[in-house]
Amino acid sequence: MRCEELREMYELYTLGVLEDEERKEIDAHLGGGCEACRQSLRDVLATNAAVLSAAPEMKPPALLKRRVMAAVGVRHTGWAWAAALAAACMLVLALWMSVQERRGSAELADARRTILQIGAERDHMMQALSFLNQPETQQVGFGKNKPAHGNIFVNPRRGVLLIATNLPPLTPGRIFEMWLIPKGGAPQPAGLFQSTDSGTAYHMLSGPLNLSSGDAIAVTVEPEAGSAAPTTTPLFVAPI
Amino acid sequence: MAPSLDLFHGTDHHRACVKLIPVALAYGIFQVVMRFKDESDLVRRLKERDPHAMSDLYDRYGRLAYSLIYRIVRNGAAAEDLVQETFLRVWNRVQSFDRQKGALGPWILTVARNRAIDYLRSIDGRMAAGSLELDKVENPALFCEFSDSALSIDRARRIKGALEKLSTNQRMVIELAYFEGLSQTEMAAQMKQPLGTVKTWVRSALKILREELTEAAIA
Repeated sequence: MRCEELREMYELYTLGVLEDEERKEIDAHLGGGCEACRQSLRDVLATNAAVLSAAPEMKPPALLKRRVMAAVGVRHTGWAWAAALAAACMLVLALWMSVQERRGSAELADARRTILQIGAERDHMMQALSFLNQPETQQVGFGKNKPAHGNIFVNPRRGVLLIATNLPPLTPGRIFEMWLIPKGGAPQPAGLFQSTDSGTAYHMLSGPLNLSSGDAIAVTVEPEAGSAAPTTTPLFVAPI
Repeated sequence: MAPSLDLFHGTDHHRACVKLIPVALAYGIFQVVMRFKDESDLVRRLKERDPHAMSDLYDRYGRLAYSLIYRIVRNGAAAEDLVQETFLRVWNRVQSFDRQKGALGPWILTVARNRAIDYLRSIDGRMAAGSLELDKVENPALFCEFSDSALSIDRARRIKGALEKLSTNQRMVIELAYFEGLSQTEMAAQMKQPLGTVKTWVRSALKILREELTEAAIA
């Protein structure tokens, strides 16, 4: 057959629906290198594509793209992006929870400290009230018209309670020390204490005391480990 | 009246149109060049196994391939399997595709159609030898030096118009060949018509389609 006659069959040939005999003839012709027919074949393939593209449009299922990508060994970019976003969100959430937990732990520790302080202060107050309620307890004021002033409560059976206000702020590494000064004797250490930020302090020396008239109570500022004997000038001296 | 509105009146309108022709032509050429550049770039990326390229290829031709395959097999699950097979085949054979002169759309449609016809033939128990013939016309080397309008909207519209011009019998034989993969002998048996009659319908139908597309190409 001539090229023009074969041309009539190229659509069916490219669609794979030609009868065996005609197909073999075209195979042989194209195998012979007829360039015009090869170009005709391309034209026919374009026509076929145009006819095939006329199929009614259908929307493929959304997951089909994922299947296709997986089939060729490529992870679907949309899901990879979503996974990365999810991972980033998880990381941010974990960091946020860690910060919150740390903040919560710090707040809890602060609360515990506050409770302990309040508990200690309450104990001091209860102790002080019990001390003050004793009939033998005597009150001695000190520092009248001076910045640091207050009261000392003495009970020979229970000890000494010092309540001072307006004490000077301490420098780091320093502490207040109370002294019991017998008349004509050397000062004896009577305990270390600190003041609050407002300069108020409660300090109690518990236990029976052998006091006599002319004895005195004094307070000095000492190194934080305390001293065996006063090393600074007393803030006040209160005779009992 | 504002000067710009004068473009749409009398001789000014014609002058404005004449002035716009080179702009329109340049824009058309630009679109064609960009389309080819895009397609060529897509093929390059497919050959380099760029994962995003496969995603782009599916975005561009996935719906077309699915529509065609579904039209042939009329079964959603089978159509999904065949679309997957189609893109896998394209992925595996893209290395021999001509990046500069190739036309991806016609190639993918041919591969999709052949996968679907193979499926139909396998469930009908029809000859397996057809698979080899279909395989031959999927050769990527055949899909080059196409006109840039091979899958254009205008061409699709022309084809639809041409199909509407066919008689019922002509349209039937075209559908049986393109979408059922039947030979003329098989068509004759199915339609219970003499082979000669079927061949006449096929020949005349294809002639109308060719003429319509040739006119489109000339236009």
